[in-house]
Amino acid sequence: MVELTLPPDSRVNKNGLVYRAPEGAKKPRTFRIYRFDPDSGENPRVDSYEIDMAACGPMVLDALIKIKNEIDPTLSFRRSCREGICGSCAMNIDGVNTLACTRACEDITGSEVRIYPLPHMPVVKDLVPDLTQFYAQYAAVKPWLETRTPAPPDRERYQSKEDQEKIDRPSACILCACCSTSCPSYWWNSDRYLGPAALLAAYRWIIDSRDESTGERLDALEDPFRLYRCHTIMNCTEACPKDLNPAKAIGEIKKMMVSRQH
Amino acid sequence: MARKPLSPHLSHYRFAYTMATSILHRLTGLALSVGLIVLACWLTAVSQGEAAYQRFASGPVSALLRVLLALWLIAFVYHLANGIRHLCWDAGWGFERAQARRSARIVIVSVVIVAALLIWAFFFRGAR
Ligand code: HEM
Ligand code: SF4
Ligand code: SF4
Ligand code: FES
Repeated sequence: MVELTLPPDSRVNKNGLVYRAPEGAKKPRTFRIYRFDPDSGENPRVDSYEIDMAACGPMVLDALIKIKNEIDPTLSFRRSCREGICGSCAMNIDGVNTLACTRACEDITGSEVRIYPLPHMPVVKDLVPDLTQFYAQYAAVKPWLETRTPAPPDRERYQSKEDQEKIDRPSACILCACCSTSCPSYWWNSDRYLGPAALLAAYRWIIDSRDESTGERLDALEDPFRLYRCHTIMNCTEACPKDLNPAKAIGEIKKMMVSRQH
Repeated sequence: MARKPLSPHLSHYRFAYTMATSILHRLTGLALSVGLIVLACWLTAVSQGEAAYQRFASGPVSALLRVLLALWLIAFVYHLANGIRHLCWDAGWGFERAQARRSARIVIVSVVIVAALLIWAFFFRGAR
């Protein structure tokens, strides 16, 4: 359902706590960060942290870790690899979904750096969204090899180099959810529309030359909502921090839907 | 279960060409649909005899309708141009980021040119 505004209990108080830069900071910069404490009973708010960039690593994740270590240990966010491969640190930075560990503070124009959780998601705490539904949608496309013929007894199922190359890029998805949560169609219909990340995964198995349930996979997507809520807005492809192209994958699936009818 | 607020979305996401061209396509689609009805009523009205013709083919009502027709033409040209962009996507072409940005720019530029030409041809050419 299209709900342009936030429900009352989700509205953000823009004037949260303010933490000033330490005395003698050489390069102070303000980070305005979405905060939500589930135990407080209060609405979310935006806190301002002024930190000295002269004593901070280059990436937004470095700044978050600095804030957590030195200013406010209650700040919560997910991270693990700090090199753009685990997908944990996806958030909305400067209005756009991306990974905190690969986004350089320097590249953000404007004096303040605004950091919010991934959009239109239930917030567990601060920058931590609840991804339960997102993962369930991934599982729904059966992201594994489905075969009917018995496996060769003495070797794995071979694939040509060309066939492997078709799935190289889509397989590089790290399930960070930047794409799905940037998609207005997903915002309004996430209960029924699978979203770009799950559809990219579906595509990756549909075009896998070794997979033997291509028809069933397409059947499962033949639905006005699961696939066809995509209106080619292209926000997903613009957002993907791994330079993948979910919009194109969705377009290819739509084309296959048409061509298999002939 | 602890309550989980909904994170900000439309109000907060940076508005980019992707969303602008998409929402404009929907809005122009709607405007075209409504406008088509108005256009049909107008054409029917002017064909209802001498007095009705005088009333709807010139004068203040007609002036207002002409402005609306001009807007409808702009909407049509945008919807047509961006519709072609959509059809290209449906054929599998133009999904790369750079291509999508370029095609958006081409749509905007051609809308300005074609709409200006059409409005000139409809309203300013000849002795009107
Ligand atoms: C007066 C004539 C027209 C009217 C009244 C009209 C109306 C509409 C409406 C109401 C929509 C739905 C918008 C939405 O749900 O987002 C739409 C979508 C669309 N129109 Fe038109 N339209 C007209 C002419 C055209 C033309 C000439 C083209 C071809 C270039 C075109 C191409 C499209 C396409 C491709 C879509 C689907 C976009 C999507 O996938 O979301 N339309 N139109
Ligand atoms: S192209 Fe489709 S999936 Fe991607 S943002 Fe647009 S509607 Fe969503
Ligand atoms: S397609 Fe890109 S943005 Fe979407 S989940 Fe995968 S890596 Fe993240
Ligand atoms: S910390 Fe792993 S992707 Fe950012």
